[in-house]
Amino acid sequence: MPKKTKENDELNKGKKVTKKSSTKKATTTKSATKKASTKEASTAKSATKKASTKKATTTKSATKKTSTKEASTAKSATKKTSTKKATSKKKSSIKGTENEKVEIVEYYDLPYRYNQTIVKTLAQTPTTLFIYWDISDKDRKDFENQYGENFFQITKPILIVYNDTLGYKFEIEINDFANSWYLHVADSKCNYRIELGRRPIQKNENINVDYIYITSSNKIESPNDKILFDPNQKMVYFRNVKTNVETSKSINTLSFIRNMGKIYDIYDLYKAIYQNENIEEIYDNSNPSSSPSSRFF
Amino acid sequence: MQQKKGYVSFVLHAHLPFIHHPESDDYLEESWLYEAISETYIPLLTNFQKLVDEGVNFRITMSMTPPLLSMLDNKLLQRKYIKYLKRMIELSEKEIKRTSNDERLNRLAHYYFDRYSNDLHIFKEVYGCNLIQGFKHFQDIGVLEIITCGATHGYFPILYVNEKTVKAQIAVGVQTYEKYFGRKPRGIWLPECGYVPEADKYLKEFGIDYIITESHGILYADPTPIYGTFAPIVSPEGVIAFGRDIESSRQVWSSINGYPGDYNYREFYRDIGYEADYDYIKPYIAHNGVRVHTGIKYYRITGDTEFKDYYNVQWAKDSAEKQAGHFFDSRSSQIEHLSNYMETPPIILCPYDAELYGHWWYEGPYWLYILFKKIYYDDCNFELITPSEYIDKYPNMQISSPCRSSWGANGYSEVWLNPTNDYAHRHLHVAGDRMCELANLYPDAKGLKKKALNQCARELLLAQSSDWLFIITNGTMVDYAKKRIKDHIGRFTKLYYQIKDDNIDEEFLKDISKKDCIFPEIDYHIYQ
Repeated sequence: MPKKTKENDELNKGKKVTKKSSTKKATTTKSATKKASTKEASTAKSATKKASTKKATTTKSATKKTSTKEASTAKSATKKTSTKKATSKKKSSIKGTENEKVEIVEYYDLPYRYNQTIVKTLAQTPTTLFIYWDISDKDRKDFENQYGENFFQITKPILIVYNDTLGYKFEIEINDFANSWYLHVADSKCNYRIELGRRPIQKNENINVDYIYITSSNKIESPNDKILFDPNQKMVYFRNVKTNVETSKSINTLSFIRNMGKIYDIYDLYKAIYQNENIEEIYDNSNPSSSPSSRFF
Repeated sequence: MQQKKGYVSFVLHAHLPFIHHPESDDYLEESWLYEAISETYIPLLTNFQKLVDEGVNFRITMSMTPPLLSMLDNKLLQRKYIKYLKRMIELSEKEIKRTSNDERLNRLAHYYFDRYSNDLHIFKEVYGCNLIQGFKHFQDIGVLEIITCGATHGYFPILYVNEKTVKAQIAVGVQTYEKYFGRKPRGIWLPECGYVPEADKYLKEFGIDYIITESHGILYADPTPIYGTFAPIVSPEGVIAFGRDIESSRQVWSSINGYPGDYNYREFYRDIGYEADYDYIKPYIAHNGVRVHTGIKYYRITGDTEFKDYYNVQWAKDSAEKQAGHFFDSRSSQIEHLSNYMETPPIILCPYDAELYGHWWYEGPYWLYILFKKIYYDDCNFELITPSEYIDKYPNMQISSPCRSSWGANGYSEVWLNPTNDYAHRHLHVAGDRMCELANLYPDAKGLKKKALNQCARELLLAQSSDWLFIITNGTMVDYAKKRIKDHIGRFTKLYYQIKDDNIDEEFLKDISKKDCIFPEIDYHIYQ
């Protein structure tokens, strides 16, 4: 973490707006001051925002003094008096709201980056991992100090994907313009972790290794995507959730299977209990409850 | 009388994201709450009361999410809802005059006038503006089981890279439930049914017995549950999982031949907000003049045609009754069949978005009322049950780990993690890490710093709402959803630095605490 105390350039400063609903007008005061720090890059914008559901037009302006460690966008907002009139009118009719109130008019943008050396992964589907990464300015500098100023030009970024369940790994080449990636993996229900590293594009006197480790991700398990018909499953384990007593039964002794006579394993049982479904595709992905049809939005 | 061979369990998930804008009346999104109250929550309460009055013994389960509870309890939103109702009553009065030359239309205008007037009466006089008490009453008399949800509907399969943030979602969900219902919840609706086994230990820590999962949460569990979704399973950590039944879901939800598509039902998309003369309807649509739904709809689905017939309340009721009969018969035969294979009576779990009932499927609450009456009075081989009651009756269940899953399209995380919204995740993760950092840095904060830390927790939770990601994917109201992520991350980050710099802007803190006033009792130590 940066030790300096001025990192809050990652976001803009809000502006104070005094609104007097009794006059049904809003008076706006602008102020947007960026504090100084030496490490973070920030950008300032002048723009006009139009929120789809809000009619207020907002103009922004900001002044930038120096850059700070974390990239950010800073804006300050001024609401046009004309559009706030309507709001003030409405407000005055709501009982219980103050006649005069101080309100901070805010506008935020998400920081472009957090200047961390990081790689994280999430499972989007059983066979698609989402991976995002970044290398902090400090670490970049350290690599350049160690391997030469052109380190990032003479090496290429790679991700090494470890499947710890099946014990294999593979690598993919990414590029320095991306900061996230969707990656197809072959095996569902497996533990994965990702390593971010770099390989020299060609032999170089400064780099006498063929791989430079940067950082590792969190570990995740990709979801399962099928019914686990395990022919070796001979026992079924039960727990009484009131007493916590656990018992086991052999599949062959379960009375419903015994009585069925011809059912010998779970696959056949599923075929019987899901009589109206296709057992091979028992989960219907087009089921409308999975769609937004019942949401308000 | 037939012997009871199984159970049906309805679970309605009532949720809206926290939308509270004291700073403006211009946010259309606030009206989601008012529409949901009029179209879903009041009709459900009314039908529950009718069943109780008629001596019908029924059971239903509802998850009421913390953001919804917070909004229902919010005085400003309660006042705004009354204002909304008065505006709707005024509009329906005008409609009565406007349609006086058309008898059928005029009858419908009167119907809406009565309905909104009745809503106002029920909301103010019957429930004293507090619908939570209404739902609590039905829980207290034993016909309704209310369960909780993640604090702000944060989607666990994305948040769990920092488990503390999942723990906080669960902790605050349970605390909010206790505040409103005076007891601990036994069950939780995992936001979007998003299950990760890493959450189990926290669910147990906060006393949760059971969760609801999508069908494949059970069917793809390990080892394979021998009874499929027709019996709950218990995870090695001790969390009980009930899976959604496939067949009954399809009957209700299917966009092709599901019940809500009946030709006699009210057509959702034909609304006078879009159809009435612009100058006439202008006071009742969006403040910026954009035409929106008003709630007054005069047509029935009619068929696959643009030429719609007028809605007929009685015909719609007839269809609902017919369909309730069909559902009843289907469950009877399903249970008859299943009971041949099971050693314990099967449970058919039917979870739905509560807002499907009434908002999208206008006749849904009436259908439920008729169905529950049929189950009680007709000769029937099954009973209604809540998941808790089932657990208490049949505590012996197979040990199996549910599958990581959700009820989103394709069953995993694509809805909440795809190229339209994946930019948000690193911000949510960093904010989560920073919140934990703050909680550990300042374990004994007092005064202003404590207030700021608690507000940080609120901002983080609000940013984590799965709804913003969903809306971005869905492509409606995208600007609003993106703004909410930016606002909450922005406010969080600003406060984070102010706290660390020991330079808290009290006025700023006061202002955002007023806007984002969810969870007044929150304690940031949950992130330690």
